[in-house]
Parts: sequence; C-alpha cells; structure tokens
Amino acid sequence: MQYITGFASWFMNLFQTGGKTFISWMSSIVPVVLLLLVLMNAIIAFLGEDRMNKLAHASSRNVVTRYLILPFLSAFMLGNPMCYTLARFLPEYYKPSYYAAQAQFCHTSNGIFPHINPGELFIWLGVAQGIQKLGLNTMDLAIRYMFVGLVMNFIGGWVTDFTTAYVCKSSGIKLSKEVKLTNKPAESDEKATA
Amino acid sequence: MAWKSVRIEKGSGGWGGPLFITPTAQKHKFIYVTGGNRPKIVDKIEKITGMKAIDGFKTSIPENETALAIVDCGGTLRCGLYPKKGILTVNVMPTGKSGPLQQYITPELYVSAVGEKQVSEVSDNAAATAASSPAASADPEVADADEAKFDTTKPITQQPNKQNFIAKIGIGAGKVVATFNQAAKEAVKTVINTIIPFMAFVALLIGIIQGSGIGKAFAKIMVPLAGNVWGLMILGFICSLPFLSPLLGPGAVIGQIIGTLIGVEIGKGHISPQFALPALFAINTQNGADFIPVGLGLEEAEAKTVEVGVPSVLYSRFINGAPRVFVAWLASFGLYPGK
Repeated sequence: MQYITGFASWFMNLFQTGGKTFISWMSSIVPVVLLLLVLMNAIIAFLGEDRMNKLAHASSRNVVTRYLILPFLSAFMLGNPMCYTLARFLPEYYKPSYYAAQAQFCHTSNGIFPHINPGELFIWLGVAQGIQKLGLNTMDLAIRYMFVGLVMNFIGGWVTDFTTAYVCKSSGIKLSKEVKLTNKPAESDEKATA
Repeated sequence: MAWKSVRIEKGSGGWGGPLFITPTAQKHKFIYVTGGNRPKIVDKIEKITGMKAIDGFKTSIPENETALAIVDCGGTLRCGLYPKKGILTVNVMPTGKSGPLQQYITPELYVSAVGEKQVSEVSDNAAATAASSPAASADPEVADADEAKFDTTKPITQQPNKQNFIAKIGIGAGKVVATFNQAAKEAVKTVINTIIPFMAFVALLIGIIQGSGIGKAFAKIMVPLAGNVWGLMILGFICSLPFLSPLLGPGAVIGQIIGTLIGVEIGKGHISPQFALPALFAINTQNGADFIPVGLGLEEAEAKTVEVGVPSVLYSRFINGAPRVFVAWLASFGLYPGK
C-alpha cells in the first residue's frame, strides 16, 4: 500500500510541478505578450501592406537592404510566414539567400517582438525562462540576441549568394539576377486593384 | 440599363472577400448604414456600377432589392446583420468575424477595411459567374412601387455631404478604436491557439523532467555540452548538418524542447546565464531547413530556383551554423556579470 501511495504522489507531483510552471508563465509571460501583440497588430493594420511592398521594390538592389533591412522589417511587419512573400519582387537568383536570412530574422527578433513568430516562441522563451528564474532581466539577452542576429543573419544571407553560385555551377542551372521589369507593372496593377 | 460590375477587396488589416457585385434590374440599389456620414466608397461604387446609393439612416429599401450594404461597424451587430440576411456586406472598418452574429459572417458575403483603393471595376463576363446572392427571390411589382418612393428622398441622399469637424473626429476615433479592437481579437486568438497550447506542452515536459529525476540524468549530458562554447558549437554543428537539418526543422519543436531543457539547467544554476546567448543560436542552426520549398513558394520563386535554392540554403546553414554560435559566444561577454 505504501508503494502505491508513494507512486501516486510521485506521479501527481509531475503535474503539480508542471502546473506551477504553467501558472507562473500564464501570469508573467502571457499578459505581456498579449498586450504587445495587440499593439503590434494595430500598428501593422495602420501602416498597411502597400507601404511594405513599395519598400520591398526599393530594397532589392543592394546586399545590405536586401538581407538586412528588408528581412528585419518584413519579419516585424508581416511575421512568420507571410514575411517571405515580400521576396517576390527580388530577382530569382537572390530568393534563396533572402529566405536564408528571413527565416533567421523570424527568430532573432522574436525575443523583443514576440508577435513575429508566436508559434515558435519557445526557441527564445525556453532558454529565457531559465534567465527569468534566476531573477535576471531577459531584455538584456533579447537585445543581444537581436543584434547578433542582425549581423549574422545578414552574413548568412550573403553567404547563400555564394552557395547558390556553387549549386548553379554544379547543376548547370542559370538564375536571373535581373529584376523582371515585365513583372513589375503586373504586380503593382494587382496591388492597385487589391 | 448599363450597369457594371464591381470588385471589392479587403483592405489593410481587413477580412473576407473579394466580393463581386453585379447589379440587375431588380437589384440596383445599395444601402449605406454609416451613421449619416457618406463614405467615399459609396460615391465610387455609384460611379462604377451606376447603382443608386441609399442612406440607411434616412430611409430603407426592401432586402430583396439591396445589392450591397455598406456599414462602419466595429464588431457588434451591423457587421453580422446584413450577412445574416444574405446581403453582401462591405465594412469600412477593419472588423473580422465578430459579434453575436459572427457565424453569418463569411468571406463570400463579407469584406472589411474597405477604402476607395479596394473598389475596382471588372468586365461584365468575369463577374457574371461570381455574382450571386441567396436573397434573389422577389417580386418585381414591389420593386417598382418602392422605386417611386425613393425619388422623393433623392435630394437628401445626394446632397453634397460636407463632413464637419466634429464628425471627422468621431469617424477618426471610431476607426482607431475599431482597429485596436480587431487587433486585440487577433492577439487573443494567437495566444489561445498557438502560445498557450505550446506552453502547456512545455510546462508538462518541465514537470516530468524536474519531478521525475530524469532532469538529473539529463543535466549530466547537457551541462558539459551547453555549459561551454565548444559543446554548444558541436550542438550547432550537428543541427546544421545538411542531411539532418531538414529533419530537425518541422515546427521548430526539437529546437524548442532543447532550448527549454537548457533553460531549466540555467534556472537551476548548472549552466552560467551568459551561455544563454550562444545557446539560442546553437539550438537553431537548422532554422527553417524543412521549410525551404514552402518559403520559396511564398516568395513566388520559379521551379528551377527551388531546385537550386534547397541545397543552397542547406549548405549556407551548414557553413554559418557553428560560426554563428561562436560569434554569439563572443557577444555574450559582459552579459549578466557576477553570475
């Protein structure tokens, strides 16, 4: 009988420990994330997608805007996974590189702006909850996460330009580096009617 | 009569649609129920289609003659009222499916956040198939009788409506409130549908790890790996292997679990908090590796771009993986001093 009682209380203890963790998150993390989401959703609704599309057009020309500024803003404005759609204005050759940078921006900025990728928040939060438990400020970590991300994601995008060149060479496929001018009016037309 | 069809899409932050409205001999009027002010889209729709606009606050028309209803509802009643009657509804506010009548709000009947830009002309044959409304059964006699009545109201509805200052403030404030309200609804939905379920899952995991003693065994493996830069680089290197990374990707679940486990050890003081930064990079070197074809699809890439892009991104993840961890480690100095 003693063993059964012992086992039962051990078993229930698993859920009580988990429950305590859950409630501490519900009272500390959820309200902050929720209110931040409200504000971010509102800002995004006010600014609108049109402006982002214009920016995407303008950013396709050089490396810095292409793999640093555009993916950062795109993650902030559109979140995962809609942020990828802005790359439709880029030349085909640069699309894989943009993807490489963009996917990482969906995480590195997520510490400060959890609205970007709420579905995968625990990449950040899993580690950050340990910091929180120690009573330290997670914002210090979040800011460094974002800045290291800014630099390394940009480099990641740039490096992909070279791996794309390598894959193109070894497979014999050629991708255009030119912005398709014929595509442009069609796109903007579609937007105007949208 | 030369009526023309119109296409109405959702605007920024909007929901539903697109709607195609084709006026017919019976349905060639539309109503706007917008608190007495006349939205600009009313004029535009009038101009494109040749339909007549009726101010719903001044008079009314039978439902079966109403081709379209324009409302400025922030999410309580009106946005659902017209869809319930089967009338195509345009909301100038960015309101989604909400209110007590929300089950009637469907993308086929309803579109929101509509401004002038969202209203456009379509060629007739394109819209003919798309335009249909459930409330299409009515007797034309009634329609004729009512038509005469509306001519008397014409001066009222068609007089140039100058918005006065107070009305402008009211409309502006209404729009801000509605936008925030809609943003809040979406935020609550996100939290309930995606964040809380994952929290419950991870909390259970933590409960099992900490409560059962697996944690101690796990700490023995994890602490030497995650507690120094070389271990983290090895972790990052493994996650970025091109044949492994697509398998580790889906939903970032594995990364999230490993992250939580490292977090638990940091919380217990087994791992220095400074290592949180390189750990964040180490657990995620496979970032998005499973999603490349879908992501490139969202980028509207051509088939051959996808063919090149998949290996290319996998290679670049591999090249960048371990160095990212190292750079993050360098950047972690001075983070949480004294711990």
